[in-house]
Amino acid sequence: MEKARHNGKAIEVVGLTREYITRSFFGGVSRVTKALDGIDFDVATGELFGLIGPNGAGKTTTVKILTTLLTPTGGEAKILGLDVNKDLYEIRRRIGIVFGGERGLYNRVSALDNLRYFSDLYGVDPAVAKTRIPQLLEAVGLADRAQERVEKYSRGMKQRLHIAKALVHDPELLVLDEPTIGLDPGGARDIRNMIREMQKQGKTILLTTHYMFEAEELCQRVAVISKGKIVALDTPSELKRLVRDISVIELRTYGVTSDYVESLKRLPNVLRVVSELDSEVQTIRIQSPLGADLLPLVTSALPSDAKIIDRTIKEPTLEDAYLRLVEE
Amino acid sequence: MGALSELAPGKKVEGYMAFRGQVLKACMILTAKLFFADPQWIIPSIIAPFIFTLVAFFLFGGQASTGSFLLYLVLGSGLMGMWGTTIYGSSNSIGFDRWNGTMESTLAAPIPLSWIALGRVLFNTFEGVINALFILVIGLAWFQVGFGVLNPGLFFLASVSTFLSLSAFGLLMCTIILLSRKGGFITNSMEIPVYIATGTMFPVSILPLVVLPFAFLLAPTWGIEAIRLSALPGYTGLATNYWLDLGILAIETLAYLGLAFFLFKRVEAYAKRNGTLEEY
Repeated sequence: MEKARHNGKAIEVVGLTREYITRSFFGGVSRVTKALDGIDFDVATGELFGLIGPNGAGKTTTVKILTTLLTPTGGEAKILGLDVNKDLYEIRRRIGIVFGGERGLYNRVSALDNLRYFSDLYGVDPAVAKTRIPQLLEAVGLADRAQERVEKYSRGMKQRLHIAKALVHDPELLVLDEPTIGLDPGGARDIRNMIREMQKQGKTILLTTHYMFEAEELCQRVAVISKGKIVALDTPSELKRLVRDISVIELRTYGVTSDYVESLKRLPNVLRVVSELDSEVQTIRIQSPLGADLLPLVTSALPSDAKIIDRTIKEPTLEDAYLRLVEE
Repeated sequence: MGALSELAPGKKVEGYMAFRGQVLKACMILTAKLFFADPQWIIPSIIAPFIFTLVAFFLFGGQASTGSFLLYLVLGSGLMGMWGTTIYGSSNSIGFDRWNGTMESTLAAPIPLSWIALGRVLFNTFEGVINALFILVIGLAWFQVGFGVLNPGLFFLASVSTFLSLSAFGLLMCTIILLSRKGGFITNSMEIPVYIATGTMFPVSILPLVVLPFAFLLAPTWGIEAIRLSALPGYTGLATNYWLDLGILAIETLAYLGLAFFLFKRVEAYAKRNGTLEEY
């Protein structure tokens, strides 16, 4: 088939809508849930584009529609100039998908068997596959363990195999659905390096992620999706300008209670408090226009048996902008 | 790690049937590897046939030393095995992807799901052939029973045709599994009625008249008849002839395939609309 023209746009989405209808026992409509509410965006050829949003915001629905696994109920979506409703097999031939987590691989057979199977399923010429599969295994650092069953692999190794699987048919566009979820820092860094390298090869990449620093580090543009709508779409630096009026106090604490975190929220000029517990150390990020001037109030409210290990005043990150956007 | 930039350039296999042939082969190989990866394959394929042969041998006593006994045993158990594994396989060929978490990857492939399912069902039906061959080996080697076939060429043709008709029937049942997560219950409940109606262990001609229309709609019924006509001297059965049996078998098999491919298309479209196919 002649390749469709796509005017430099690898993905074009216009007014995309998806409703899920729950039917009652007697067949009547009991509930309509709007997972996507008329979203618009496009991704340029060769761009690394991020789609971020909380759980249930519509990221997975968008990915499923763009990868032809789900039919939209309204609007239009084109991949490489092809319609997701009409040209699904041609689209599938030209895109690669990386699913995050454990799903998507045959664990009882080897990495080599998985890649051979998917290369056949995508119609790769066997002579090409014979050369490309060992190259891919080498590229993702699995060549030494290619004959081992996937069930013996670590999470990071499985994810690298996912990348190889997505590249086995040399796609023009890659959809990466939370590719670093659940990985240790080293494993996640390896995947991020691979994503950068794939973009250098000229691949267009759509990345969904929960990790804001990942989107900030990798993506040229980011769309923030919340409750089925795109609430912002810009470069990470432009999105951060949304919160340029604030500073962030970051506290690394030990032994603080939820009451203390709640009391911080009630302090004057505090816009938002986010708390994250990592083993015994709790990191608290306080957004406020007061910056360092707020520190005396923050420390005075600290319970006597708790301890602040470290405190820093930081520039707002994409995460701060994101939180403001999704909570508005 | 190596560089992703050094990958061999992309080239796709040309031709409609060449691509589908490649997919069928890949699905059969993967299904075989997954089957043998589980050590329990020995139970249905070796231990169960051995016990079955043992019981049949002692049941038939003196008759068991004749060639036609072994043929009946091999045919009966082989066809039961093929049907059993077809039923099991059609439940599992796509159902497996649901619980293994590979449904999205399978669905995202640039080929209709029916071709992927067909490749898997073909291997699952072939498992029954392994079963029949093992019974033959036990009969020949252990019990030293003779084995003779009236016309080996026609016997081979009828066996391959029956194998294909069972696979087509299995593919048809795959659509039931796709429609409902409880589809496995429906297909499994069909195992014994189909054993009886197709005349696996005894001729269809002895069945009550009321069952015959159902039996005639099952392509394997004609396959089994053709196999017996080509193998057993003096066999009359339904009093048809070999080529008529094979002709009806071919028509019904093609009808199953046509219906299965049509239903797959409808089910896939339905599941895409409702977003239900990958749900376990």
